[in-house]
Amino acid sequence: MPKSLKVGIWTFIGSFLFLMFYGFQSVLVAAIGALLIAIFGVLLALPLPDVVKSGLLTGIIGLVFVIAYAVERPAIALLGAMITGVSAALMASYRQHKTDLRAGAIQGALAGAVGGALTAIALFLVWLYIVPAAGVTNIAYAKLLSETIPLGASLGSDVAIIGWLSALTLLISMLLGALMGMARTVEGVRGNLLSYAILGLVVLLIPILDRQTELQLLNAFIPVFVFILLALGLNIVVGYAGLLDLGYAAFFAIGAYTTGMLSSPLHDTHWNFWLVIWIAAAVAACAGVILGAPTLPLRGDYLAIVTLGFGEIVPILFRNLGGGGPNGSLTLKLFGGQLGTADIAGFTVMDQVNLTGGVAGINPIDPPKLPGIVFGPQNQVPWFYLLVAIMMLTLFLINRLRGSRQGRAWTALREDELAADAMGINTVRTKLLAFAMGATFSGFAGAFYGAYVSAIFPTSFDFSVSIIVLCMVILGGLGNMAGVIVGGLLIMGADRLILPQTSNLIRKVVQHQQNTLDLPTYRDITQWRLLLFGMVLVLMMLVRPEGLLPNARRRAELHPDEDTAEQENATLFDAERDPQLAGH
Amino acid sequence: MLQLNDIHTYYGNIHALKGISLHIDQGEIVTLIGANGAGKSTTLRTISGITPPRRGRVLFEDQEINGIPAHNIVKLGISQSPEGRHIFPNLTVRENLEMGAFTRNDKQGIEEDMERAFNLFPRLRERSSQRGGTLSGGEQQMLAIGRALMARPRMLLLDEPSMGLAPVLVDQIFEIVQNINEQGTTILLVEQNALMALSIAHRGYVLQTGEIVLADSAAALRDNEMVQKAYLGIE
Ligand SMILES: Nc1ncnc2c1ncn2[C@@H]1O[C@H](COP(=O)(O)OP(=O)(O)OP(=O)(O)O)[C@@H](O)[C@H]1O
Ligand SMILES: [Mg+2]
Repeated sequence: MPKSLKVGIWTFIGSFLFLMFYGFQSVLVAAIGALLIAIFGVLLALPLPDVVKSGLLTGIIGLVFVIAYAVERPAIALLGAMITGVSAALMASYRQHKTDLRAGAIQGALAGAVGGALTAIALFLVWLYIVPAAGVTNIAYAKLLSETIPLGASLGSDVAIIGWLSALTLLISMLLGALMGMARTVEGVRGNLLSYAILGLVVLLIPILDRQTELQLLNAFIPVFVFILLALGLNIVVGYAGLLDLGYAAFFAIGAYTTGMLSSPLHDTHWNFWLVIWIAAAVAACAGVILGAPTLPLRGDYLAIVTLGFGEIVPILFRNLGGGGPNGSLTLKLFGGQLGTADIAGFTVMDQVNLTGGVAGINPIDPPKLPGIVFGPQNQVPWFYLLVAIMMLTLFLINRLRGSRQGRAWTALREDELAADAMGINTVRTKLLAFAMGATFSGFAGAFYGAYVSAIFPTSFDFSVSIIVLCMVILGGLGNMAGVIVGGLLIMGADRLILPQTSNLIRKVVQHQQNTLDLPTYRDITQWRLLLFGMVLVLMMLVRPEGLLPNARRRAELHPDEDTAEQENATLFDAERDPQLAGH
Repeated sequence: MLQLNDIHTYYGNIHALKGISLHIDQGEIVTLIGANGAGKSTTLRTISGITPPRRGRVLFEDQEINGIPAHNIVKLGISQSPEGRHIFPNLTVRENLEMGAFTRNDKQGIEEDMERAFNLFPRLRERSSQRGGTLSGGEQQMLAIGRALMARPRMLLLDEPSMGLAPVLVDQIFEIVQNINEQGTTILLVEQNALMALSIAHRGYVLQTGEIVLADSAAALRDNEMVQKAYLGIE
């Protein structure tokens, strides 16, 4: 039986059982859900041409996006097309590298076309089925279309606008796919920079599209990008240096708290954000070295456990440094009784000083200031561009690091520590630098996040943050920045954009059809997030453990059967027969 | 060139080297022979800084190098092909060799040495883009030696280069070791295959449970009755 069929059947059975147990009284609904998940699995495993496969996989995401959003905001298809086109081309080029510019363009355009087509199909599905189901009249939808779609007003009828919109979707996705495909044919650092330039272009266009078409999605995009920033940093530690860190959220917390403590009414300190963000990164980097130092002799599982401990300790520390108060105070229990704070001089002092706001956190935190630009809760655009600038800087720096001697030292360290030592690599420094660099970028992320949400609590940085970020790295492709970005977009995009919106949509449909506001929990799709998340992870690890856009090395390591096995056999074979060796 | 004075090395409280003194002169091949667990690998690791000695001095070109961390010893010109090869499994052959030149910055020179390694081991050239981990045992050994040479060492420490190799390959490896030596690299060779080692070495030391029990020219050692009995299997 072909692998794809096997995967399909097993995922179907698995998800079906899961969904039934999860509270789907209706066998039919559970079956449909399971079928969708199984299709995803089959697509992953199917031996389709790489171009088609990449297009389908990313197209499904575009499709889901459109289905979730297009009832209220049909212009989402354009955004979907941009993201789908770029990522389909990227994925195709990872599966099959082209060196010729024209071949690259064709490959990218084809992948983009498949992805774009799926996205466009979703538009029609929405228009035909979901719009009426949600109780939106044709006239109202036509009005929405003509108001939000570029040139929509001049086209008039809803059929014409939907047609135009889907053509535009296909076109954008093909065009960006072709561009990305071409960029990917350029070798070396220049090629990388080109790819990032195209990604950057797409990202820069998002706020414009957002405003023109009234998508109002920026506030949902920003947390997604913050997490991508975190994932990029963690990728240095786990992907490059091979050090499994389960407590990465600690550095995020340190960055955010540094910012909070230096620019908020809590200590009446109001340092400038543009200075504080660097301080936050530096403090996080130092914390990386300090927390990294005790783990130096550890590897693998042991390292993971220790970092996990640090990840738990740091937020608790921030909570307990919050001075007196019912929940935030330091209490010390000995033999069942509580020692009075006066008993231990050191703690008495601690009890009085409120460094971090305790459980109540720090609120508000000063926003950045720039002449002529207002960073406020109502105005998302400057935040978005600031974050993009930080990400660009991060990508640039990591790219440089990656190609440097330091990057090679990380590779050697990950591969074989003793050999790295024997090659003249300072393994202690290499490890500490990995921790420090990884922490630096989460320091940036923390500083931005603190200023952006303007309120931080110890609970914002718990274990689940570390785990989600790690999943982004692994799902996207350990050791590969483009993969990490895609992984982040998928996981956080699903979590922050698709699930809540789908939930809204279902609520709407149920409301319209059954005239009730009560939504049974099982139909509230946001409640499924962990379930879906878990299943996608399991599926990925079974079918494509190297991630969506794998690092070439990791792929070879995890699929020794693909091409390298032949080489290996050949080696054994001609080591025995090679006339030059066996001759004398 | 290299001198060990009364070296004591411990693993925890296991006393692995109990006062070893030896010297290696410029241009020599010196071999260490001894039974399993005699302390041969430990001697190499002591020199290369991976397990520093607790007592005694290691002098390289009259500079005391005990206590210098391993990665800095490579820079001084001593490079090691460790026991068990330790090649980077997911790097290609070429990348493995490039890692060997990690401490160097001269692109030109690295390229030359890469060429030299490929000339010494033509098989590696054929496999230059294959992953190290998928090489056969013999090829991995060649890679480990080639990689150690990429640091352009003045002194090369080889730990059992013939381990696990077919007899024809063993001959070939030893020929290459001799070749490397003729090109100007001083070699300290640890071998189980004492006969082979003594046939290419200039001098040798016999190690027994952490102590040197014999030191002589290779030819004399080959004729020594005790060596013949214990290590050459000649009755
Ligand atoms: N990491 C270690 N921890 C504890 N003891 C060790 C360690 N490495 C080596 N030893 C001990 O030190 C002694 C010398 O070991 P060494 O590896 O130098 O032997 P060797 O002469 O190279 O043997 P072989 O020919 O089997 O490789 C042995 O008794 C060994 O058990
Ligand atoms: Mg040994």
